Amino acid sequence: MPEKTISIRIDGELVNAREGQSILEAARDHQCEIPTLCYLKGLSSVGACRMCMVELAGTERLLPACTTPVQDGMSLRTKSEKLTLYRRMAVELLLVERRHICSVCVSDGHCELQAMAKSLGITHLRYTYSAGRLPVDMTHPRFVLDHNRCILCTRCVRTCEEVEGASVWEIASRGIHSRIVSDLKDPWGQAHNCTDCGKCVQACPTGALAEKGYGVHQMVKDTDRVSRLALRRASHLGA
Amino acid sequence: MQNVASPGLSAKERVLIDQEVTSHEGRPGALLGILEAVQAANAHKYLSMDALRYIADKTGTPPARVYSAASFFALFNLFPQGDNTICVCRGTACHTRGSRDLLEKVCLDLGLGSQDLESTSEADKLALTTSDQKFTVRTVACFGQCALAPVVEINHHILSHVNERTLQREVGALTRGR
Repeated sequence: MPEKTISIRIDGELVNAREGQSILEAARDHQCEIPTLCYLKGLSSVGACRMCMVELAGTERLLPACTTPVQDGMSLRTKSEKLTLYRRMAVELLLVERRHICSVCVSDGHCELQAMAKSLGITHLRYTYSAGRLPVDMTHPRFVLDHNRCILCTRCVRTCEEVEGASVWEIASRGIHSRIVSDLKDPWGQAHNCTDCGKCVQACPTGALAEKGYGVHQMVKDTDRVSRLALRRASHLGA
Repeated sequence: MQNVASPGLSAKERVLIDQEVTSHEGRPGALLGILEAVQAANAHKYLSMDALRYIADKTGTPPARVYSAASFFALFNLFPQGDNTICVCRGTACHTRGSRDLLEKVCLDLGLGSQDLESTSEADKLALTTSDQKFTVRTVACFGQCALAPVVEINHHILSHVNERTLQREVGALTRGR
């Protein structure tokens, strides 16, 4: 079945998109970069981080590019003062939600949250940390989970479910008490379903999930590999 | 095999879960109904980790998803509840009419730690149980009885225009009756 082509305008430029594509995918196909944190190519989109908000002509409301499908005649703006303000605010709130201390983090220098903060010019926080010191799960023989660095993007949840098929991770509780949990809040090392594959670690944008044995700013993640696996799996399932 | 998966579960509970799972078979969204029935049948009105593990096992749902659902909804308790439930409304109308004082008073009377209260008073899902398992004090966002503020629910019986003295009397009656 031939896919219908849709014309939309992104930052004034007329581009062609496939029906069913999200705004984000259409924009990235045309080398228009929209910042994201929770999105990972190949995984399903959840619109959790609010980084990819775009302006749609004719409406006051901002739309998340990753979960909004393209529609004929859409005219979008991906860069504006308002959007920068919103993105800055979102990153600032993500930073105060947990104790993110870059200088002692394994992912320092390779962290997507840190890079995002840097690109938005965030050098200090206007608010105090809202959470106390949270536990660190060291029970897994190879990996470590540090709740203090988690931004609840659910990339690990989706990677584990959609790529590995083990569904070890999920978000428990709600609001400020939300935490990533493995199985029935079991220590990670005792989670029966975990296959120790480490794909969640590679998918994690921050240092929340890391491999043991790495020092400060040594942990480099390979998210592309997770994306490739996810896409391959999707095409395999679609065939 | 079943005993290995959940050693702490009684045969009765296991049968109940088996029945619930079978009656909900093939229906999407069955998990909430199963959890609700299992909690209602429990003597202490809570879902034990063994029960959750067994439910996950029987329904083929990932344990993480079962835990996520059970911890998300305020309806589900993950810890044993007291014999009597005192539910203090913390809605706006009740707050302006002094429900915080009522909550603090009842917690003090029952010997529930004030430090626990301080750390959880802003939480939407406060549930403190006395060490003798007789009383559970919880909060609720609103009963929808704002004209009768402040409202306190004791064992599913709603008391209106509550003040410290009436609350103390009701709790005292329960204490003597136990």
